[in-house]
Amino acid sequence: MAVIIDAAGKACPLPVVLAKKAIAALEQPEEVQVIVDNTTAVQNLTRLADSLGAQALTHQDSEERFTVSITPGAGTIDKAAGRNDACQIMGQAGPTVYAVGSNKMGRGNDELGGVLMKSFIYSLCQLGDKIPDTVIFFNSGAYLTAEDSPCLEDLKALAEAGTDIITCGTCADFLKTKEHLGVGRISNMYEIVETMNNAGKVVRI
Amino acid sequence: MRQKELKLLATFHTTTDAMAMEKACRDAQIPGKILPLPRSISESCGLCWAVPLTEEKRFRNFVEEKKLSHADYYYMEVF
Repeated sequence: MAVIIDAAGKACPLPVVLAKKAIAALEQPEEVQVIVDNTTAVQNLTRLADSLGAQALTHQDSEERFTVSITPGAGTIDKAAGRNDACQIMGQAGPTVYAVGSNKMGRGNDELGGVLMKSFIYSLCQLGDKIPDTVIFFNSGAYLTAEDSPCLEDLKALAEAGTDIITCGTCADFLKTKEHLGVGRISNMYEIVETMNNAGKVVRI
Repeated sequence: MRQKELKLLATFHTTTDAMAMEKACRDAQIPGKILPLPRSISESCGLCWAVPLTEEKRFRNFVEEKKLSHADYYYMEVF
């Protein structure tokens, strides 16, 4: 008998949070079905399943209703419950994460800040094998990953070189860039916090 | 993988000049990109304006016509 979570109408990242909690609470592997009302939630849940070694299957029930069925694999429940030694080592070398919370670098003059940010992103691409593992864009930083971003070419090169470029879905939605994402993928606050928390180094721009 | 290409780099005495160049070229739809000044070049302003060689003539004419302030020109391979 599947565990059913109705997350329709719930804002990101609640569907992922609720799904993860439900999986962690399973006493034995069984299907968890999550009902959502948007495709971003479907993508986020699919990514959650991948990260937990589970399988996700999505059924579109109607125009604004999707059921994501998550079937746990070996170790899924333990991973969801945080019983995973790889994530609990503190103060060790780990991924390098850049957190970009604005499309301007520094404060005081926005015009200068915009120019500095373009220059910064270009310079980031020059790090060779020391490029960051992940760059997270949020708030007005979401403008930088849009199709019309002045940094698009450089960010695409960074992504091609292996950096995971992620943009906060809430921000992209609010700033209306979600449908015009030019590079990387849309993520959620849950993954953003987890990424920062598991990083060896977080650089805040 | 992205390859560097030979471009014309305009350097500047001040950041204000670099930003003015960017704005003027953008308004006139002349292709170009603001970059940090390569370390091998020394100039007061740490930014430069990189122009594809296909646009060089149009760009130089534009700079002269508008009397846009700049320090020097270089050719260099950049992204």
